[in-house]
Amino acid sequence: MLDRLGTGLKDAMKKLAGKTVIDRAAVEELVKDLQRVLLQSDVNVKLVMGLSKSIKERALDEEPPKGMNVREHVLRIVYQELVKLMGKECEVTLGPQTILMAGLQGSGKTTTTGKLARFFQKKGLRVGVICADVFRPGAYDQLKTLCNKVNVPCYGEPAETDAVKIVKAGIKELKNTEVLLIDTQGRHALEDSLIDEIIELNNITKATHRWLVIDAALGQQAREQAARFHEAISIDGVIITKMDGTAKGGGALSAVAETGSGIVFIGSGETIEDLERFDPDRFISRLLGM
Amino acid sequence: LLSEKDIQEPLDELEMILLENDVAFDAVDTIISHMKKSIVGQKRKLRTSSEDFVKIALKEALMEVLGEGFSLTEYINLHEKPVKILFTGVNGAGKTTTIAKVAHYLKNNGYSVVIGSGDTFRAGANEQMKTHAERVGVKVINHQEGADPSAVLFDAVSYAKAHNIDVVLADTAGRFHNRANLMNQLEKIRRVMKPDIVAYVDEAVAGNDAVIRAEEFNNAVGTDTVVLTKADMDTKGGAAISITHTIKKPIMFLGVGQGYDDVIPFEPEKIVNELLGADI
Ligand SMILES: Nc1nc2c(ncn2[C@@H]2O[C@H](COP(=O)(O)OP(=O)(O)OP(=O)(O)O)[C@@H](O)[C@H]2O)c(=O)[nH]1
Ligand SMILES: Nc1nc2c(ncn2[C@@H]2O[C@H](COP(=O)(O)OP(=O)(O)OP(=O)(O)O)[C@@H](O)[C@H]2O)c(=O)[nH]1
Ligand SMILES: [K+]
Ligand SMILES: [Mg+2]
Ligand SMILES: [Mg+2]
Repeated sequence: MLDRLGTGLKDAMKKLAGKTVIDRAAVEELVKDLQRVLLQSDVNVKLVMGLSKSIKERALDEEPPKGMNVREHVLRIVYQELVKLMGKECEVTLGPQTILMAGLQGSGKTTTTGKLARFFQKKGLRVGVICADVFRPGAYDQLKTLCNKVNVPCYGEPAETDAVKIVKAGIKELKNTEVLLIDTQGRHALEDSLIDEIIELNNITKATHRWLVIDAALGQQAREQAARFHEAISIDGVIITKMDGTAKGGGALSAVAETGSGIVFIGSGETIEDLERFDPDRFISRLLGM
Repeated sequence: LLSEKDIQEPLDELEMILLENDVAFDAVDTIISHMKKSIVGQKRKLRTSSEDFVKIALKEALMEVLGEGFSLTEYINLHEKPVKILFTGVNGAGKTTTIAKVAHYLKNNGYSVVIGSGDTFRAGANEQMKTHAERVGVKVINHQEGADPSAVLFDAVSYAKAHNIDVVLADTAGRFHNRANLMNQLEKIRRVMKPDIVAYVDEAVAGNDAVIRAEEFNNAVGTDTVVLTKADMDTKGGAAISITHTIKKPIMFLGVGQGYDDVIPFEPEKIVNELLGADI
């Protein structure tokens, strides 16, 4: 697994491998290099500091297991700590469920809702979609167009201004579907009335999942924003979008840490098929600059 | 005289503040090490602590990075009409909404405006732009989904010329800088509509990638000025520093919400004060 790590960390490891003794100075240098790559990938500063501390402590305090030299031991600690950062594994169940989409403005909720509709449809499930975005101009047209492409029913009332009312009606209208996806309007941590709205949407839908959609390029704000969403509706999965760009997704990882959840899907393009399950190894490689 | 030892601690602290506020890692690195070089050996004024000294120096450095900003109305007044502005940027950054806000702003300042709905790709893009334009009371030129964006924007420019309109605001579909075909398409749009200003739009909440894409867009189609959106998301605007540090182009507006009035001309000093505090 370790050979798949990114060049940034690989260089740091090579440096470590070239050392005759792995002493405090060598560990400190490794940690410093690691900090650099993680910060360049937008992992939250506080998280990076916590991670460095725990790597340093473990590397200096823990005895290497039998048959492992100090160098291998240190590398293993680094890898374990990085894997911890990825959060828990998120199973996607292929049965009846309601999924509430949440996230900042422009993060990719609507596009991802279309992709998820396609994903569950391909698994042979009956899918229905509700447009609960009463704010963004063209929101319903956008979602409806995406759903039409794959023949999935999409409920919406473009002239209605009450999202709760739409969702209630949509649930009735789509009662025969197995997977119900609810797309919501973009909102952020400081918009109290919109946070209240999504709390209510969560209550009336009794959503099985509340997935937070995060742009791979989101920086240090990710942590605080995720905290607010989590406090409001208890996020149980993160979707990272726009991974086909050059952003590393470290912000989204910070959201994972904040919510104690894991990464469910990765968005990797603009078409309805551009959705991938999460592969921690590949993600670590990218994070570390492969 | 200030020694390296005197300034290390305050510099470390400031470095942390910049990182925590999304100034990109490499930008922080260059700014801080440059400062270090210039401060060491300088004479500290009586009654200024080395901490204050470092802070003042950083403020000055950041102000220099940010530059003066870009006054759109001043530009329009000095140039032949129609003034054509092409908006570029990655997916979801806020281009379309910014165009609606800028149209509203220009109208309020007495200019006539036409919008070219150049996103012929994304689902719902035309409807989005049309609704915005209707609400701010501005004419919009659009073709069907799938049409050539250069043709739409060419039509918008022709319309402006025929009707003596002051400003053309040209929207484009969001695209990533690493997609060669889409960047070529943007280059074609630029050739066909010959914008006076290319305005690059990105979000204030973007992290380190802000630097990479700003640079790539600038290399591919050029950037004259920058708009930073979503500055209302509890952010202190570190991305403003990352971007101007990288491409050395002035910032025109900040987007501070989703209403049509939520656009403000950029004031460098405000950003720096938010980042480092206004007390010095
Ligand atoms: N390249 C790429 N673009 C994406 C991806 N996901 C979404 N997008 C694009 O990002 C932009 C914003 O996506 P939307 O789905 O409208 O985002 P949203 O969160 O619904 O936005 P609001 O409803 O306004 O909050 C659009 O241009 C999408 O095509 C992705 O994985 N890759
Ligand atoms: N909070 C906040 N939201 C904004 C701001 N500017 C734009 N938005 C929102 O961000 C989302 C995306 O904005 P768009 O204008 O559609 O972005 P775009 O760059 O045109 O997106 P694509 O055309 O899909 O690439 C919408 O929900 C906007 O209302 C802002 O300054 N603050
Ligand atoms: K975004
Ligand atoms: Mg949406
Ligand atoms: Mg747009």
